[in-house]
Amino acid sequence: MSGDGGRVYVGNLDRSAKRAKDLVMGKLRMGRAVDWATAFSLWPVHLTTSCCGCEFAATWSPRFDAEQHGALPWVGARQTNMILIEGTVSKKMACAVRVTWEQMPSPKFAIAMGACAIDGGIFYNSYNIVRPWEIIPVDVYIPGCPPRPEAVARAIIELQRKIRQKRVVSKWIEEGWRPDKEYVAPKEDPCSWWRG
Amino acid sequence: MDVEELKKRIEEALGGLVKGIEEGKGFIDVIVDLDNIVEAASRLKELGFDHVKSLTVIDYPKENRFRVIYHASSYLDEELAKYIVGIGADVPRDNPRMPTLVYVWRGVEFQEREVYEFFGIEFTGHPDMRPLLLVPQLAEAKPLRKEFIVKEEPIIRVKPPTG
Repeated sequence: MSGDGGRVYVGNLDRSAKRAKDLVMGKLRMGRAVDWATAFSLWPVHLTTSCCGCEFAATWSPRFDAEQHGALPWVGARQTNMILIEGTVSKKMACAVRVTWEQMPSPKFAIAMGACAIDGGIFYNSYNIVRPWEIIPVDVYIPGCPPRPEAVARAIIELQRKIRQKRVVSKWIEEGWRPDKEYVAPKEDPCSWWRG
Repeated sequence: MDVEELKKRIEEALGGLVKGIEEGKGFIDVIVDLDNIVEAASRLKELGFDHVKSLTVIDYPKENRFRVIYHASSYLDEELAKYIVGIGADVPRDNPRMPTLVYVWRGVEFQEREVYEFFGIEFTGHPDMRPLLLVPQLAEAKPLRKEFIVKEEPIIRVKPPTG
């Protein structure tokens, strides 16, 4: 949708109506609708691990308005289906990330944001960091230190494209597990320090 | 009040406790004996230095000592608020213990916990001597000491896919 001289484009209504009819009549697989619906309701959980959280906030601010992609940050992990790792994950934070990930209902997705989340960034060779891909399966990486809000919005769109083209969600629901990605279990318990 | 006058006032207030004053561009470090540090700190507080801005430690492995420095300054006294004065002591490396200054300046509680986890200096009399930021297993390794070696990670070059 975009405004142009006061007009708002909503797409081809006839075509949309035909597809909706096909769906109801059973001509189109229900999975397509599930993929479509999930792609436009990616709700990231509000877990700010590090300084990229400022850019995360700016992405959903009125200027960049990532809500137009159907994504809305939410507080409770149990009502969300996406996690956006913002920057460095320290050893204590790794526990929080993994616990939050386990609390989220499937199908769920992860985006790793910033140079620190890819390979340590400025904390490369440090003793107190964990790479996010060691603790959760990451779908999209965003390079940059920090990435611009446009890059975050681009990552959301990329994830939407991935979900709809590869039909990730419908296959996930049909088979019971995610077919296109390995399950990532942490090699060592990130919460071992907590339990004593 | 200029620096010379400040120095004089500090020397007057601390009396015989001063072991040495190290002066540099923009700072004064008062060095005292480890046993006298609580007394010296409370006298500084009476002078008007009402809070600690930072607590820092330098590790000298060859000389077998740590230098612990509290940087104190003032909120209420406008003259003293222009200066930051360090009060420090040498802690032996083989027995890293020193009396806590929590009961002089309440604000150093968390900073002393941080020093404890990074350098392993134990503050006797501290109300809550636990690691603050690091996981306990890592705090045992005392990562900011000079002998702690960070594991080198190689830089991996990945060939770009052809075609």
